Amino acid sequence: MRARAAASLSRRALVAGTLAASLGVAGAAHAEEPLRFGMAMPLSGGQATYGQDQVKAAEWAVAEINAKGGVAGRKLEMIVLDTRADPQAGIQAANRLISVDKVPAFVSAWSAVVKAIAPVANDTRTVQLSVGANSAEIARLGDYTYTTFPLAAVDITAVANYAAREMGKKRAAVLYINNETGTVAAQIYRDVFSKAGGQVVAYEAYDPRASDWTGPLLKVRAAQPDIVHIQGLVADTPQVIAQMRQLGLTIPVSSYSAVYNPKLIEQLGKASEGVIATSLAPGAADDPAVATYLARWKKEVGREPNGLPYTQYLYDAPYLIAAVYSGMIDKKMPLTGENFRKEMLAIRTFDLPLTGKLTINDDHTVNKTVYLMEVKNGAWVKKAVVE
Amino acid sequence: MDYLITLAILIGLSVALASSFNLIIGYAGLVSIAHPVFYAIGAYVSALLARELGLPVPLAMLCGALAAAAASAAVALPSLRVSGDYLLIASIGFQLGVLEAIKNISVTGGAGGLTNIPAFLVQDGGKGAYAALVIAFAALTVWLNWRIAHGPYGRALSAMRDDETAFAGLGRNAVAMKVAVFAFGSGIAGLAGALYAHYFRFVTPEQFEILQSAALLTMVVVGGVRTTWGPVLGAVLLQALPQAITFVDLPPAILGPLQGLLFTGLVLVFMVLRPQGLIAAGEAWHPAKKYSAEKYSAKTRGDA
Repeated sequence: MRARAAASLSRRALVAGTLAASLGVAGAAHAEEPLRFGMAMPLSGGQATYGQDQVKAAEWAVAEINAKGGVAGRKLEMIVLDTRADPQAGIQAANRLISVDKVPAFVSAWSAVVKAIAPVANDTRTVQLSVGANSAEIARLGDYTYTTFPLAAVDITAVANYAAREMGKKRAAVLYINNETGTVAAQIYRDVFSKAGGQVVAYEAYDPRASDWTGPLLKVRAAQPDIVHIQGLVADTPQVIAQMRQLGLTIPVSSYSAVYNPKLIEQLGKASEGVIATSLAPGAADDPAVATYLARWKKEVGREPNGLPYTQYLYDAPYLIAAVYSGMIDKKMPLTGENFRKEMLAIRTFDLPLTGKLTINDDHTVNKTVYLMEVKNGAWVKKAVVE
Repeated sequence: MDYLITLAILIGLSVALASSFNLIIGYAGLVSIAHPVFYAIGAYVSALLARELGLPVPLAMLCGALAAAAASAAVALPSLRVSGDYLLIASIGFQLGVLEAIKNISVTGGAGGLTNIPAFLVQDGGKGAYAALVIAFAALTVWLNWRIAHGPYGRALSAMRDDETAFAGLGRNAVAMKVAVFAFGSGIAGLAGALYAHYFRFVTPEQFEILQSAALLTMVVVGGVRTTWGPVLGAVLLQALPQAITFVDLPPAILGPLQGLLFTGLVLVFMVLRPQGLIAAGEAWHPAKKYSAEKYSAKTRGDA
C-alpha cells in the first residue's frame, strides 16, 4: 500500500516536473518562435532514393536562410515527415503537420500523395505546395494546392513539338507506363505531335510491374516509327530502352524529365547514346549557382543527386516559403494558411536561386523554360532550349 | 485534435480489417491474402454510387459492403469446391485482376485514382462523429467476431478447420460454411472501405495492392492469430507505432530507414521470439462464458 502511494506520488511529481519544464521552455521560446513549415516526402520505400536527396537539398536551403539571419529575425524551421509515396501515409503526415505542428504551408510531392492530401488542405485552409509531381490534375485540386513545378503539359509539349518541327519526325510511337504519370502525359504527347503535323503510329501501354517489354516493343517495331517517345518512370525507362536496343530498334528515343539523371547513362552505357530527355531547371553550364550546388553534392555526399532538377526545385522551396513569410510579417498578417495563400498570390513572381524566375498562374500552373538534353559520348549535353 | 481523430479513424478501420481477416484466415483457416481487394471494392462501389448516381451515402456504403460480400462469394464458391489452396490462387488472381480493371476503366479514375468522392457526416456531425462511427463499427466487428468464434458456430468452424472430412462425415456442409464466413469477413472489409472513401475522399488502386495484404497479415500474425484481441492489438500497434516514431526528433536520414525496417523487423522478431503472436491462441476451441461447458452439455443432454 505504502509502495503504491509512493509510486503515485513520484509519478505525480514527475508529471508536474515535466509540465513545468515544458511551460518554461515554451515561455522562453515564445519571443522568437521559429517560422515552421512542413515537408512530406518519401523517406522510405521504393521512392526513398529520390525523396531523401530532395529533403537534403531543402535542408541545405533552410540552413543557408538561417545562417543569413533567418526571416525577419526569426529562424525558419522545417518539419520532415515520411510519406513512403503512399496516399494514406501522406494523409497522416499532412494531418500531423496541420493539426500538431500547426504549419500554414507544407511541401509535398508524388501525384497520388498530393491528390490524397488535397481535400485535407482545402478543409483546413493550409497551403499544400506540390514540388515535383507533374500530373495535369494537380492544377485542379482546389484553392489550397499549388505547384512550383511545371506540370506534364509543359515539357511533354516541348519535346513533342521539337520532334515534329525541329527534328522533322513524321511517325512517332508512344510507349507509356499504365499509371497516372504515363497515361496523362502520353495523351498530351499524342495530341501535340499530331497537331504539329506528325502521325502517332503506335500507342502502347505497359504494366507498372512489368519486367519484360518485348510485346509492346515488337508492336512498336512493326509500326515502323522514326522516333519513339517513352513515358515511364525513372526505374523502368532504362530497362525499356535497353530491351529496345537488344531487339534491334535503333531509332531515336525521347523521354521526359524523370529520365534526365546520371543513372540512365550508368545503367545503359553505350545504349544510352542519343536518348533525349527534358530538364525543367537550368544545368551547371547555364548557371554558376547550380555549378556550386553540384560541387557541394560531390564534395559532401560524394556523388551527384538523384534527379538533379527535382532537388533544385526542392532547394528553392524554402526560399519561396521564406519570401511569403517575410511578406506576411511585413504586413503584420496573422501567420495562417489563408494569409499564406493570399500573400503568395500577391507576390506571385519569385526569383529563386537554383531554378530562376517562377510565376504562379491563376489556374494553379507555372510556366518554365524547358531544356532538352541528349546523351552524347557518355554525358548529358544540352540540345535545345524551349521557352 | 484533427490529427488524433484521423489516426483514430485509421486505427478503427485497421481493427475492423484485421479482425475480419482473422475470422477468415484464423478461425476458418481459409488461406487467402486478398482481403484488401474487398476493401477496395467496398470503397469504389460506394464512392461511385454516391458520386455518379447521387445515392445517399449510407445506402451507397451498404451497397459497397454487399458488393464486396457478393464478389467474395463468387470467388470462393468455385475455388473452395476443389480444395483450400485454390482459394489462395483464385483470390490473388482476383485481387490483381480487379485492381488492373480499376486502373484501366475511365469511370474509376484509372490509375490516377478516384477524386471528389462525396463526404459524409463530417459537415453535419464533425470529424469526431465520424471517428465515433468508425470506432463503433470496429467494436461491433470485434464483438461479432467474438460471438461467431466462441459460439456454437465457432465450434463448428473450429471442427471444420481441424478436420474437414470428419466434419463432413457429421453431415455438415463445409463449403457452405466456408463461403459464408468468407463473404461475411469480406463484407466487413467492404464496409470499412466505404467508410474510408467517404472520409478521405480519394482512393487509388495502388493502396490496395499486395503490400497492403502484407501489412494486414502482419497485424494479424504479430497480434496473435485466432484470438479476439490479437488482431486488435496488432492493428493499433502497426498504425500507431510509425506515427509515434515521428515524434522522436530523428533526422530524416535515420527516420526513413527506421520506418521501412519497422514492419520487416517486427515480423522477424516475432517469428523468432514469439511465433504465436502477442496474444497466444488456446490449443483447442473454448466457448464464451455464456456457452460454458456445463450449460452446453446440460442443454444438449436435455434435448436428447
